[in-house]
Order: sequence, then C-alpha cells, then structure tokens
Amino acid sequence: MTSIAGADRPALRGDGSADGARDTDPSSGSAADTQRAHSRSVELQIRRQDAPDAAPYWQRFRIATRPGDNVVSVLRALRADPITADGERVDPVAFEHNCMEEVCGACAMLIDGSPRPACSALLKDLGAVIRLEPLPKFPVVRDLMVDRARLFAALKRTRAWVRLDGHWDNHERAPRISQRQWAADYLYSRCMSCGICLAACPQFPDAAGRPADDSAGFVGPAALGQVRLLNAHPLGRYDKAERLHAIMADGGLTDCGNAQNCVRVCPKEIPLTTAIGELGRQTTVQAVKDFFGV
Amino acid sequence: MSSSISNRHFLLRRLHSLLGVVPVGAFLAFHLWENSQSRFGAAHFNEEVVGALAGLNYLPFIEIGLIALPLAFHAFYGLAIIRDGRAEPMRYGYLRNWLYWMQRLSGIGLVVFILLHVGMTRIAGLLDPAIHADLFGHMRSALSNSLVFDLYLIGLWLAVAHFANGLATAAISWGLTTSAAAQARFGWFCLGLGLLLGVIGTHGLLGYLSAPVGTGA
Amino acid sequence: MSGRQVIVVGGGLGGLWATLVIAGGGHRVMLFSLFEMMRSHSVCAQGGINAVLDMQGQHDSVEQHILDTLKGGGWLANQPPVKSMCESAPGLIRTFERMGVTFSRTPEGLLDQRLFGGVKKKRTCFAGASTGQQLMHGVDQQVRRLEAEGRVDKHEWWELLSLVKDADGVCRGIVAMDLRSLEVRAFRADAVVLATGGLGQLYTPQTTCSTNSTGAAASRAYQQGARFANAELFQFHPTAMIGEDKTRLMSEAARGEGGRVWVPKDPTDRREPNRIPEAERWHFLEEWYPAYGNTVPRDIASRAIWKICRELGHGVGGGDRVYLDLTHLDRAFVETRLGAILSIYRKFAGTDPLGAPMEIFPAAHYAMGGLWVDFEHDPATGGVKPDSPRNHATSLPGLYACGECDYAYHGANRLGANSLLSASYSGRVAGEAVLSHLAGIERGAEALADAPFAAEVARQQSINDELMANRGGENPYRLHAALGALMTSRVGVVRDNAELDAALAEIAELEQRAAHMDLTESTPWANQTLAYARQVQDMIRLARVMTASARARDECRGAHYKPAFELPLPASKAASSATAGGNADPAWEAYMARWQANNERWLKTTVAEHTPDGPRIDFEPVDLSVLAPDQPRDYR
Repeated sequence: MTSIAGADRPALRGDGSADGARDTDPSSGSAADTQRAHSRSVELQIRRQDAPDAAPYWQRFRIATRPGDNVVSVLRALRADPITADGERVDPVAFEHNCMEEVCGACAMLIDGSPRPACSALLKDLGAVIRLEPLPKFPVVRDLMVDRARLFAALKRTRAWVRLDGHWDNHERAPRISQRQWAADYLYSRCMSCGICLAACPQFPDAAGRPADDSAGFVGPAALGQVRLLNAHPLGRYDKAERLHAIMADGGLTDCGNAQNCVRVCPKEIPLTTAIGELGRQTTVQAVKDFFGV
Repeated sequence: MSSSISNRHFLLRRLHSLLGVVPVGAFLAFHLWENSQSRFGAAHFNEEVVGALAGLNYLPFIEIGLIALPLAFHAFYGLAIIRDGRAEPMRYGYLRNWLYWMQRLSGIGLVVFILLHVGMTRIAGLLDPAIHADLFGHMRSALSNSLVFDLYLIGLWLAVAHFANGLATAAISWGLTTSAAAQARFGWFCLGLGLLLGVIGTHGLLGYLSAPVGTGA
Repeated sequence: MSGRQVIVVGGGLGGLWATLVIAGGGHRVMLFSLFEMMRSHSVCAQGGINAVLDMQGQHDSVEQHILDTLKGGGWLANQPPVKSMCESAPGLIRTFERMGVTFSRTPEGLLDQRLFGGVKKKRTCFAGASTGQQLMHGVDQQVRRLEAEGRVDKHEWWELLSLVKDADGVCRGIVAMDLRSLEVRAFRADAVVLATGGLGQLYTPQTTCSTNSTGAAASRAYQQGARFANAELFQFHPTAMIGEDKTRLMSEAARGEGGRVWVPKDPTDRREPNRIPEAERWHFLEEWYPAYGNTVPRDIASRAIWKICRELGHGVGGGDRVYLDLTHLDRAFVETRLGAILSIYRKFAGTDPLGAPMEIFPAAHYAMGGLWVDFEHDPATGGVKPDSPRNHATSLPGLYACGECDYAYHGANRLGANSLLSASYSGRVAGEAVLSHLAGIERGAEALADAPFAAEVARQQSINDELMANRGGENPYRLHAALGALMTSRVGVVRDNAELDAALAEIAELEQRAAHMDLTESTPWANQTLAYARQVQDMIRLARVMTASARARDECRGAHYKPAFELPLPASKAASSATAGGNADPAWEAYMARWQANNERWLKTTVAEHTPDGPRIDFEPVDLSVLAPDQPRDYR
C-alpha cells in the first residue's frame, strides 16, 4: 500500500512556502507529490483558549491540503507542526475527534460560524479561509474541546432508558414492531450525542454561570428525541408517564420555542421537531389524564 | 415523582399558549371583524357595533375576565419567557428561526401598542363620555394623524403576525401537528389566516377615514 | 450497598456490558473512558450482529454458526468459548431488544436477518447499517440508569497508565491520568476489567478504526506481565473507502445485500464504470469462489483484491482500487438497509453509491489477537462453565479482559457480524466471572497498604515529567505516521519473513527514537500531546509483539498469509466425502494429509510474554473439544 505519512504535510509559513524541515518519505510515490503540487493551501483561523477560565484569542495557520481533506484531517496534520502564519511555534490545537466518519459525535465545532461535525466538513466545500471555534453553549475545556456533560445530564433528567429486570436473557421472544414504526423509531436512535442541536437552539441556555451537569435549564432537543424513541418502545412505554412528567417539569418540553434550528442543523437529519410535536401531544394527553386521575 | 398538574411550569406555559389562541386570538379576530364595519359610517358603527357591545350584560366581567386578564397574563408571562431565549437569526437564517425572533420582537412591540391603544380608546372612553359616545369620530380624528395611522397599521400587522405564527407553533406545542409536512401545511394555513385578518383589519382602519360621517344620521 | 469495588476500563460495548453485570450484581463500578462513552469505537460497527434465530426459512442452526465461526477462523479459536457464545447469541439479541435497540423488522414485525460473509444462511440481525451505534445506545442507557442510581461512577476523560499489583502479584487497582488536569492518580479495586478495544491505529492512516483504537492500554497490561495471544492475527477489511486521512469502512452488509465486486476486464479501460457493459466486467470473487461469491470471508476477499491490484496489476485505473457495486439493486431497499454507509460514502467521497460503484480497497480493521484470557471448560455442556471466575481472566490474577482487546473468539479470522456478538457476550461473561472472583476475596483493596499505589503513581508521574521535559527532537505524530507506514507495508495483508525481519529492525529503531521525543508543548492542562506520546510508545511496543508473532508463525492461516508457506488447494473442489477422509481424488488425499500435518505443527495459539529483551513467543494448544478440524477452508 502507498505509505503517505499523515504528518508528512507541513504547515506553511506566512509566505506560503513549505517548511523544508519535513520528514521526507523515500518511498512516497510520485502520485502523492503530484497531488501535493496541485493542492491548494488554506488558512485556518482558530479561536483558542488555554483553559476553561482563560481569555480566548485567535491564531491563524496556513496549511497545505490534499484532495479529500476535511477539517479534522487538517487539524490532525497541524498537530505535528503547529506554526502560525506569522511563523510562531505554538502549542498544538486541542480538539476532540475519534471515528472520523460522523458517527461518534466527538468533533462537533463551529466552522465558519455554523455548528457541525468537523470530520464531514470537507475542505473542497469550504473557502480559502476557515474559521474554527468551539461548539457554543458548552464550557470550553481547551481550544476546540468542550465539555458536553449537560447533554448527558439531560438524558438522566428525562430517564432516557428502559427499566429492565436485569441484563439476563428471560427467554421471551422479541416483541413485534411494524416496519413502519421501526422506520420512524430508527431515525431517533441515530443520535450521536454531538450537541449540535443544542448549540443552535435559542432556548438552550449558555453554559456560563451554570453547573457542568445543569439540571434546571431547557433539556434540549437531543434528549427529547430519546424520550420520543423510548416512549414508543413496547417496554419503554411502561415508564412513559414518568418520562412525560420529567419533561413537564422546569426546563422541560414547554421551554421549546419552536425555532426549529435543531432539525435544520442535525447532521443525522433526525426529525427532532416531529418528536417535539409528538411529545406535545403526549404531554397534552398526560395532563388530561393527570387531571382526571386516570 | 412530580406530576404535571402539580407542576406550575407546565401549566403556566400551556396556559400562556392556550390564552394566546383563546380568548386573546379569538378576540383579535372578532375585534378586527367588528372594526371592519367602520366603512359603514359613524352611525352604524357607534350604534350597531359599539352600542351593541356596550349593551351586553355582564360587560365588565367579559371585558376584564375574558379579555384584559388573559391578555395581560399572556403579555407579561410572554415577556418573562423571552428572557430565556437568545435568537441568532443571522447565524441560523432559517425561516422558523426568523419567525421565532419575530414572535418575540412583535410580542414586545404589541405590549407597547396595546397599552397605547387601550389607553386611547377604552380608558379614554371611560374618562371622557364624549369619546365613548362617538368612538367612531374619536378614531377618525386620531387616525387622520398619519403618525397614529402608521402606528395602528404596524400594531395591527404585528398582532396578526404574532397570532398567526403563534397559532402555528401552538399546534406543534399541543401536538396537533407533528410531522414536518403537517407543520408546514398548517403553517401555510396560518399564513393565509393572518393575511386575511390583516386585510380585514387594514380595511377597517381605512374605513374610519373613508366612510361618510353622517350616514344614517 | 456493601458490595466491592471494581474498575472497568473502556466504555464500548464490552466494558458497558461488564459494568451492567457487575453493578447489577451489587458491586460498585468505576468506569474509565478516554472520552464520553458514546464516542467509543463500537459505534462504528455497521452491518450487524450474528445470532441463529432461524426465522428466514433456511434451516439455520446454532451448530452451523459454531462451525462457520470455527472454520472461518482457521480453526484457531478455543472451541468451548465459541460454542457458548453462539448458543448465547439469540438470548443476547432478545436482551438488546428489551433495552430498546431498534433492530430492523420484517413485514410481519419480526427481527429481520441478512446474509454476511463466510456463511450461507441469513443470520445477521441489524439495525439499518448502524448496528454498533444502536447496540451502544441500549447498554449506554442501561449504564446511565445505574449511574443515576449511584451504582456506577463514570470517569470520563481518564486514561489508564498502568496496573497496580499487590505483593502477591494480584492486580488491585490502576493508575490513571486525568486527560484534563493531567493528574496521575491511583484507584483501588478488587478486580479490574480491561475492555479497551482494538489496535487498528498501528496501521494509521490505512485503517477503518477510530483514532483512539491504539491498543495502548492492552500494551501496558502486556508490559506488566499479562500475556498477549495471537498478536499476528489481524484482519484487513476488504471493502474500505479510499482515503488519505482514514479508510472508512463500507460494511460487509453491502455485499451481503447483493453488492458485487468487480474490475474492468481490460485493465487499461479508463471509461466511467457505468459505461462499461456487463460483459466487460470481471466479477473476480464470483469467478474464483462460485459457492460463496461476493460473500467469501474477509481474509479471502482482501487477498483476492490484493492479488487483483498488486499481483495482476488489474486494479481500476491501474491503482489500488476495485469497484463495489450496488447500482443494480433496488434503490429503496438499499436505502432502508444500508442508509448509514451510503450517507458516509456520499459525504466523504462526494458521489452517490447508488449512481456509480464505490471504489474500495482493503484496510486494517480488527485484531483477532489480544490479551490472553482463560476459560473453564464445562464437560457437561462442552461450552464454558457459567460463572467460573476463570472465564476471561488474563494471566494476571485479578485482571480480566473482554471485547476486542481479548483474543478469545475469532481464531485466525473473524467472520463479519461476530464482533458485536463477541464484544457483548465477552463483556457479560467477564462481568459474571468478576462476580465469582469477588466472592472469593477476603480482604478488600481498601485495606491494602498504600505503598504499591504510591510507588506506581510516582513511577508514572516520573514518566510524564520526563516526557514533558524531554527535548529529544522526535515528534510523536511523525513517529506514529512512520509506524503506520511500516506496519502497512511490511506486516500487512501479505507477509514475508525477510520483510518481517526488516520490520523488527525498524521497530527497534522506532522504539529508540520514541525514547527521545519532544512534545513541543509543556502545557499542564489538557495537554493532548503528552497522552498521545505515551500511546505512541506503547503502540510501538505492541507492534513489536505483533511482528515477532507474525515472524514466528510460518504458515498461512486466516488473516495471516505468508505465501512462502502456502498449501495450495487442489484444482478441483473437494467432494464432500473427501473432507471426511473418504475415497476422493488423490490430489485431495494428498492435500488433506499435508493440511493435517500442518495443523499438527501450527494449529496453536501464539502466546507472547514480555521480557526486558523483547517478546518471548511461545505456543499453546488449542482446545478442539467441540468439533475436530476436518474441513479445510474452501469457499470456492
């Protein structure tokens, strides 16, 4: 296999010329060289922050790109040689990533002002200058790393689980579920906890001044999608009233302002606003039931 | 375990939503319909419209209990809700997000407008029987001032927009519309309703200025 | 609660399953992960999970699942654990189902199943093409419930650095580093479970694995005395997208659902694939393996594609790529069953796999080998003894391993959709074993002297301090890239002893260089380079184990392919009687004799043990008590 070293791609100095000190890979074929020769370079403008309570600042980097590059791949390449466009050697940019195929949810950040997974943000679709900022609404850990504990806290608040007797096999055949219901449910189970819907939600409060596992503010669309999913499950249904009561409390479903940004920015195209509508119906019915003591 | 009906939060939010539609929204529609009769002139308006309403039994209870209090609750709880949100219409330029932003701006604008409007008409009428006796004339003279006319025109369209959009989102909040398609369909319906109410209202405003003063007198 | 304290390292499918069982048994679990649990690599599994439900009218049987797994794995797996795993599979599916996993359905509302490689029956349950993510949802929610009840204490963004052993050599805790504050701290436990996943990053960037699948944790356990088994057995997935940053997986389900692999018959053909008529396409898998066609096991498909591109120079456009074609299938059908991978291809390649064939090539995917783990054979059932404390115990007392970081179930080659099964099953079994182990403990870890914990913290802290202060000039990111290039070119799909010797020399050199790293940053907060540099050092040490093990095994078995030692199959396909040693054609008689002789010598588990001078490689017998290996792998 061709061995194109991942780090064999230097940051460019201010004048755009390649750093001569790069590792040369004797085995690298001419194809790779040709690609590099034809590649363009981009400028990354990165909002950096050394620690949670430190002041943010901006740095610019120039980096040569390859066909197929995405924001994660250039950030990875940049780690090996973090030299700013002004030629200053700085600390590598801290950021989270893992699967690089948009399923783990780790790499969400603001790219040119829009929240999205960085791995699927292909450079060919972006401009010559790319602005990267940490995902808003969440406390910054360092640079582009944020702490999404609130997202998982919301799953606890909404009791987003099925209450099993235990992990063992009880020898009972799986319940039947129509293909139609499956198709609707499956959409919600593709949530990857990236937090992008929360970043874009005008009702989801900013992290500032709130505890890391905030349990009072709006739970946000991601957790509501999971309530919708679990309320439909043949066993999950048993705790439907509990879950509905949880989202009828402070910071629950009624805090949604129907701006519907969530459904527009969700990278997995989860119909979050349909979930919100369905939960609206379920809570309406639940309130009537509660009123009449059903 | 908290129960929905013992939890204030849910009930208040839903009450806010409900009151926005009934009675506040319904009153808006009725009010615009009534005022659209301005074109039939002062006599008709003062006697058939204002007079008929003034002759209702239990009028103060209706006015306070069915209109003023619900409206006040909807307005002031709405102002409280607005504090929780942070719209970024430029970053997220989607239609629904703009409407979210507009709903909140129009809400603030409407609080100001309705206070002025009620003060100029109903309160002024209470203080000055002459105004009450010829509301048509009072409105006609007020609206002849182009500043007041513009203010009313803006207030009217803010109100119908706020109502139409509020109706569309209430349908989601209450779970009437769930799928994106249903939400879009009902959204178009509400747009149509809003335009219709806006036209009726504008027609009413113009009617004050265009109608003959002494018709039927 | 009066339970004991257990540490589980790893928040993927195996670790979460172990956590469920242990916390469910009344003990406190500290769950460590490098990141929030849902980022674990298990979410990348796509195609499905095998379980015999026999709901497709194909007369499938658990026995057949066992046979397919053993044979697909070159007969190298110990058989009782495989038997028990296959028998437990339907129950696991039912349990996942109860957890709320959205398995795809048939029109009758029953669990749907599809075909996968190396088998002839539809046996794979699936949830669209994101099955791993769905299964993770199920167990993650269950663990979150336990967390909310205070029975599980999550330590996210913590990295295991080493194990702590008491005076008797029993593992009684770990030393871990907070990836934010860089604090190095000891945690005591009465048992430690490693569920730290695979090691595809040894082949960076030509791997389908997530960037945290480094194998560093398993390497650390190995360096502290845990034995490492079958390290040379590493699977290359035949159908990965071409990519320079990562080669993304295109599930085997694509072939299972009818996808066809082909190249133009004329290697100089430069036409768009859609313009090449059917008659001018070479469906080489279907031609070479008519019985299984496109659904041959992965090692065979990978070698076939390798042969097409590297030996015959017949790759598309003369390069390292072949077509994986779904365009002849019904759009709606493919969209429903494979939506997740179609979306990955569309997003990352920018073209629609339903409009034109995908371009794919093999890439590093899954470690069959891993930490050596024990099992207790149950003579009554032929499987493993339930609840035995020996099950999934590593060679270090008190240390358990499950999931991809163990070696237990896949022999020399893993069948598709068996990994989600083994991760789940092994997590459950390891959890049950830990419960039994805890029952036998008299003195809890909290009562132990502080000295070994403090000493280990000091040792790890000094490694960190040294790395932070070092200005050796070697860049950890470049060292990793060099390691990936080396492993890909010399310890890859096709192996050769001279190449392996050269690789060992290069690895030794890399290890030297890795001792002189320069982190280029000394920030004491969320310093990712520090953690990475340590991972790179441990990856290089693991690469040495892998390469030394590969050097030691002079044969072809499953994914380990050394052409110099190949036993070519006779030209004719075996008559079924030949497999039983009947009176078939003499070519087969001769072949079977050589095959059996080869098994005599090599049908053994490779076991590596850490010594100061490098890995000491040994072999131990394989438990063949369930099915005598009498069928060579012939998928033609």
